[in-house]
Amino acid sequence: MGRRRVAITGLGLVSPYGGDLEDFFGRLVAGESAVRYLQTSDVPVPLAVPFVSCPDFDADISLGRPLAGMMDRFAQLGTSAAFQAWSDAGLPRASSEESRERWGVSWGSAMGGTFAVEKAYRDLWQRGRERISPMSVVLAMSNAANAHISIQLELGGVSINHSVACASAAIAIGEAFCRVRSGESPLMLAGGSEAPQAYGVVRAWEALRVMASSDEHNCSRACRPFNADRSGLALGEGGSALVLEDWDHAVARGARIHCEMVGYGTSCDHSHIVRPEMGGQVRAMEAALADARLAPDEIGYVNAHGTATIEGDQIEISALQQVFGEYAANLPVSATKSMHGHQLGAAGAIEAIVTVLALREKAIPPTAHLDNIDAACLGVDHVAAGRHVRGLSAALSNSFAFGGSNAVLAFRAVA
Amino acid sequence: MDSLTLIREFLDSRLGVAPEKVLPDALLNDLGVDSLMLVELMFEFEDRFNVTIDNSSSAPTTVGGLASFMDRIRGEQS
Repeated sequence: MGRRRVAITGLGLVSPYGGDLEDFFGRLVAGESAVRYLQTSDVPVPLAVPFVSCPDFDADISLGRPLAGMMDRFAQLGTSAAFQAWSDAGLPRASSEESRERWGVSWGSAMGGTFAVEKAYRDLWQRGRERISPMSVVLAMSNAANAHISIQLELGGVSINHSVACASAAIAIGEAFCRVRSGESPLMLAGGSEAPQAYGVVRAWEALRVMASSDEHNCSRACRPFNADRSGLALGEGGSALVLEDWDHAVARGARIHCEMVGYGTSCDHSHIVRPEMGGQVRAMEAALADARLAPDEIGYVNAHGTATIEGDQIEISALQQVFGEYAANLPVSATKSMHGHQLGAAGAIEAIVTVLALREKAIPPTAHLDNIDAACLGVDHVAAGRHVRGLSAALSNSFAFGGSNAVLAFRAVA
Repeated sequence: MDSLTLIREFLDSRLGVAPEKVLPDALLNDLGVDSLMLVELMFEFEDRFNVTIDNSSSAPTTVGGLASFMDRIRGEQS
């Protein structure tokens, strides 16, 4: 079977701003940061870290209490996002006449059910109990989100979680893309979810010294990718999902097509467990462009990985310069983690949605708080304020992970 | 707290089942209590009343049967 075209027909997310997709994207284009201080209670030593929460998300309302009670927060966020994407794609919740035995779920979560794990350890070590909740395993397991989604939407094809640190969801989307394009599956639900605010998880990230320092005067500006005074990332929770569908299948059922997914490139730095390396990123971008059969100067936007770490940002800019050559200076680039935070294993999904919406709306959201570009990050067209681009027709989304795994997704606007 | 009240509180908080529906003749399965949820409920029972259930005990199928089972365990281990 030859290459099938792949349509993006559904988008869904749990927005940190509390509204719908249009509200989310509008706020991003306006440069509005959702970074706040993480609110915690019942912890030994209070935290003071910038974080992006979804404070309006109520799992009991979104999923119903019986289902919500079977899930840790990352699965609640993911399943809610999946339901929204499914609805956006115009698909009924229960399977209808068409068989869903080859429809599947490709998910990304790096951390899994961290709250269940933390509670279990507290019960065992702190409270001296001998036993823990029988639900611990099903709450904590990293494949809980994709499993619940498959069960709820009656999807009988592959159901798999990719745990590849910060590239998890991007790889999940890329692998789903391959399955649809090959004809193996006519429809895949792909995305990712993460809830990394368990106390031990936040402390572990603090220990890595990559978290943005807290700014008492304006916490919302804490994450400043590519800026000279950047100090690191702001973690965030969230869930995002996309419906990837065989183009002909989508057209036949009259589905709205947000855009076309046209390429996927992945690589490994194979050099260091945490330090990114330009060569690996270059290989992933070049692979995505080749897979998409796009020339570098056809790309009108790159949603950068851009976490606001000192080394990571400048290495990504160097990689972009290597791939795009002279055109790099005219290549619009932004890092939206400055506003929605770094959702770790779910980051690739929320950023894929941003990229799809950029193509659909012909608007590029900015890197927020970019008022003094680091000299080491010059060389691309940094988007520092939301920008409308009438001719925007193709875009990339970059995700680079600890462990050296890189994933790049390529999308093309509907003509 | 008696056993029936514990069952009602648990089903209300975990499954959103209204307490007035948790009647002695009601089947646990009809109220949404699957095998995993029953284990969780038993765990809660052991925790609240500081008792231990033998793993070989057969699982009751009705609310009344479960309440009687819990009452018997409490009586034996009090």
